[in-house]
Amino acid sequence: MDAVMVEGVRTIDRRVASWLKAEKKKVPEISDDAVFLRRAFLVTVGRIPTAEEARAFLDDTDPEKRRGLISHLVHAPGYSWSMTNWAFDLLRVTDRKPGFNGSFEPYRAWVARAMVENRPWDQFTREVIAAKGNPWSLEGAPVGYYLRDRGMPLDNLANTTRIFLGSRMECAQCHDDPFGTTERRDFYELAAFTHGLHEADRSPMRPLWDELEEGDRRDSWEYRVARELWDRIYGMSVVGGGEGRIRLPEDYQYRDGDPGEWIGGRTPFGKTVRMSERSQANDGRAQLAEWVTERTGEQFASVIANRMWARVMGRPLYDPVDEYQDAEDTRFPELVRDLSRLMVALDYDLQRFQWVLLNTRAFEFAPNPEVGRFGNGEDLMGRPLARLAAEQIWDSLVTLAKGDPDQVEVPTSDGRFRVNGRLVGGGTLSYENVYAEVMELGSEAAFRKYFADLVKATQSEGSGGGEESSMVAMGPRGGSGGRGGLVRACFLPSPAPRDHLLYVFGQSDREIVEGGSREPNVGQVLTLMNGFVQKQLVENGDAQVFTCLEGVEDARERVRRIYLAVLGRPPTDEELSWMMDEVRISGSEAWRNIVAVLVMSSEFVFIQ
Amino acid sequence: MSGVASSVLGVRVIPWLAMMAPTAHAAASSGSAKRVIYLFMSGGMSHLDTFDPKPKKKDVMGPMEAIASNVDDVFVGQHLPETAKVMDKVCVINSMTSRQGAHEQGTYIMHTSYAMRGTIQHPSLGAWAMKMSGRINPEIPGYVAIDSSQEVTSGGFFGAKYAAAPIGSPEAGLKDVHRSGAVSEDAFERRLALADRLNEKFHGRFQNADVGAYQELYREATRLMKSEDLKAFNLAEEPESMRKLYGSGRFSQGCLLARRLVEHGVRFVEVQLGGWDTHFDNFAGVRGRCQEFDQAYAGLLRDLESRGLLQDTLVVVATEFGRTPEIKEEHQLGRDHHPSAFSCLLAGGGVKGGMRYGETDSKGAKVRSQPVEVQDFNATIAHALGIPHEQVVMSPSRRPFRIADQGQPVMEVFA
Repeated sequence: MDAVMVEGVRTIDRRVASWLKAEKKKVPEISDDAVFLRRAFLVTVGRIPTAEEARAFLDDTDPEKRRGLISHLVHAPGYSWSMTNWAFDLLRVTDRKPGFNGSFEPYRAWVARAMVENRPWDQFTREVIAAKGNPWSLEGAPVGYYLRDRGMPLDNLANTTRIFLGSRMECAQCHDDPFGTTERRDFYELAAFTHGLHEADRSPMRPLWDELEEGDRRDSWEYRVARELWDRIYGMSVVGGGEGRIRLPEDYQYRDGDPGEWIGGRTPFGKTVRMSERSQANDGRAQLAEWVTERTGEQFASVIANRMWARVMGRPLYDPVDEYQDAEDTRFPELVRDLSRLMVALDYDLQRFQWVLLNTRAFEFAPNPEVGRFGNGEDLMGRPLARLAAEQIWDSLVTLAKGDPDQVEVPTSDGRFRVNGRLVGGGTLSYENVYAEVMELGSEAAFRKYFADLVKATQSEGSGGGEESSMVAMGPRGGSGGRGGLVRACFLPSPAPRDHLLYVFGQSDREIVEGGSREPNVGQVLTLMNGFVQKQLVENGDAQVFTCLEGVEDARERVRRIYLAVLGRPPTDEELSWMMDEVRISGSEAWRNIVAVLVMSSEFVFIQ
Repeated sequence: MSGVASSVLGVRVIPWLAMMAPTAHAAASSGSAKRVIYLFMSGGMSHLDTFDPKPKKKDVMGPMEAIASNVDDVFVGQHLPETAKVMDKVCVINSMTSRQGAHEQGTYIMHTSYAMRGTIQHPSLGAWAMKMSGRINPEIPGYVAIDSSQEVTSGGFFGAKYAAAPIGSPEAGLKDVHRSGAVSEDAFERRLALADRLNEKFHGRFQNADVGAYQELYREATRLMKSEDLKAFNLAEEPESMRKLYGSGRFSQGCLLARRLVEHGVRFVEVQLGGWDTHFDNFAGVRGRCQEFDQAYAGLLRDLESRGLLQDTLVVVATEFGRTPEIKEEHQLGRDHHPSAFSCLLAGGGVKGGMRYGETDSKGAKVRSQPVEVQDFNATIAHALGIPHEQVVMSPSRRPFRIADQGQPVMEVFA
């Protein structure tokens, strides 16, 4: 930690205290250690503490232990996985979409790696918006952001302003915004910066592809190799740096332009950046990235600061998080402004920024029971009680089953070239190299020669011992998937399949920005009673929640350990007596029943 | 929750209210539907390539052909051959119009009649149906969503009690409804009793709507587990002939399950078919979607009819918007979003078959006659169900809401 961070904590504490005073609100109580512990774990690393972790913290007598815990957690691997879930939800990172036969894996791995490396948010934003190059390379992988929305550049742009600037412009795609200030022309002027994205020219390959597509050749090795090139090389190419100009749409309905007329790029607010309608440029997206991150005043910093505040404190300072408000228009002008400045002072380092928030008094406040789903707006009266997000529930259940699930390798995209899912050429060929080589082929003749060589090189080892791969799960490879895919949510397919617990608990379908839901439904309760929890946890003798009882004879101590493992606290005397009754009735079956009961409890599925 | 409770009581006086209501619409006889099967084409179904083709306009149709149906002046896209044979049961609304051109907002308003707001979650149509008409079969959920997204099938401010029970896989049905073999009934009951004790403590400390909702859901779930009617969720009990009738895709299974569910007294079933967002290569995309849809939809209508269920089951086909008459060459013949004109379908539940309502211009770009706003469409669904669309229900924040906002039912579609 450095002086800026420590000062940041002080500033926020001061602002919160003076707001409470000015509003004549009672200062909320400070949460006890157990509530703090569970909250800190869930917010920071996205899972509950193990029994060991809980005990270590609760038994610690160091008065500075909360600060110590926070520093530990923001540097723990789990922090990266929790942030990866956040980023996947925000960016709608998906593994597949109808009509796309390429791979989103390099992009997905890139996003995860950026979270692991704690890439500063402004840099991350620039790399995404200005992405170009080889989609299989480390530098080019963020083109997946555009690939994900291929064919819908205007929606993609609307999402870009929503995600990074808190500007909702999707309405202005079709008409002037009746509620805001954005006009349809503004939207097109902004779209000019990203206009002109397209696939690489497939003409060197097309004649060959058309030949192979003919009926009986579809079973041939040539066809399979060609399929890889068609889908995963050409099909993943994103060419065009942004033309800086665009034509108004055919149904343009306002007086300030004619349908089909070329207009040049112009940014709608902040420091204006313009591009000419007269000539085609190739750096529009780089200019847009620059504008978003550097020339929109406080807006860029404020939006990410508010998102982080919501992540840590359970609700934003202005709501919704994707509608930027000028600090003056919020309920907490000074605090909002301070947070934007802090974000800048910390160079958009989200890890250090969250460290600051996590060390404030406000983070320690006891939960505010008054605020439910129909809350009365933003306040600083303590964290609203909320159900855990789908990923938090899943990752917590995995923790109960397996113990600390975070000792895994950093995922990388396995970019080795495959045909039909099989490694070929001894695993030495990579998509990255093949992509680079294919993009250099300027003619049909050159392509045919390259293709013939590739077929030969892959055929020689084509059937021999190639490792099968789904190319879907990014996760830690080499069999650490374990029992029933008991790995963190961010290593599972994105989104998880629809029969998965994550779906039932409302994981985003990755169609819309931050599409996760915390709405209760009866399916969730059934899963907790009879489904996954019963099968993978309660009936799983190898589950960590049971193995942590080994060697412990005393029944009270066993109850205590189960409580620590599931709820992160010891039982109250009353609860202990209830559970001891259960032990008397059920004998050795009692432990399963107690685990089942605690996981079914509201205390487990809510964060205080 | 007292506000909600009193409006539940308010529902009991509906017939009287409906008669006293001042407009002519409300005085007319209501539809005969008791149940709804709501098929949502997620992503924005191209009206031009499905139910509003413009056979004479080659530039609008691109490579798509229109085919005749079993009703004289009703044509459908070429990939809907089975649907073409049941159009005598269907009312096509060609004049749907909306101002919401983004998926999230469009989907939301179709499901709730209201524009999205940051401050309130509006109940979905299914939740309204449950709230206003109650369950038919008290033992199983009254509202089920298959392959759908939970954000738009929620109970909104009515609370979780009115939210859809989600089904992720029609084949698997409602998961986890059976007590594990490893748990005796005794042990199960004790678990519930203990959890209840813990939850009461927790609930005592936090008077929070969501916490309360989970307590209620446990009661609901245990009731459900004991129900004889759980078989409603089990597709395995359907004979092979039914599988043949509906087809084998996932959406087909969803439709078949929907029929089983309404047969067992589920009030409102939504089945989603995604992938209609055909910005890129529209014609391949539409072909694929139609292959999923065609046999399933036709099979569903035929099956409901042969069981005598079609007269009191309203089958809705809805989507968030249509797609542009312009075809984007640079996106491999793609079509973009087009909210100002699109098509939805109604069948059964007292709705006239073999008719078209409303008309678009020669390109399918704008509504030319009898526009139907999203709210009108939802008011029509309400009317079919005998729900007074003008009935006001107060949210817990004491704001007035109606099932279809200010929409008016399209009376001409009713027989």
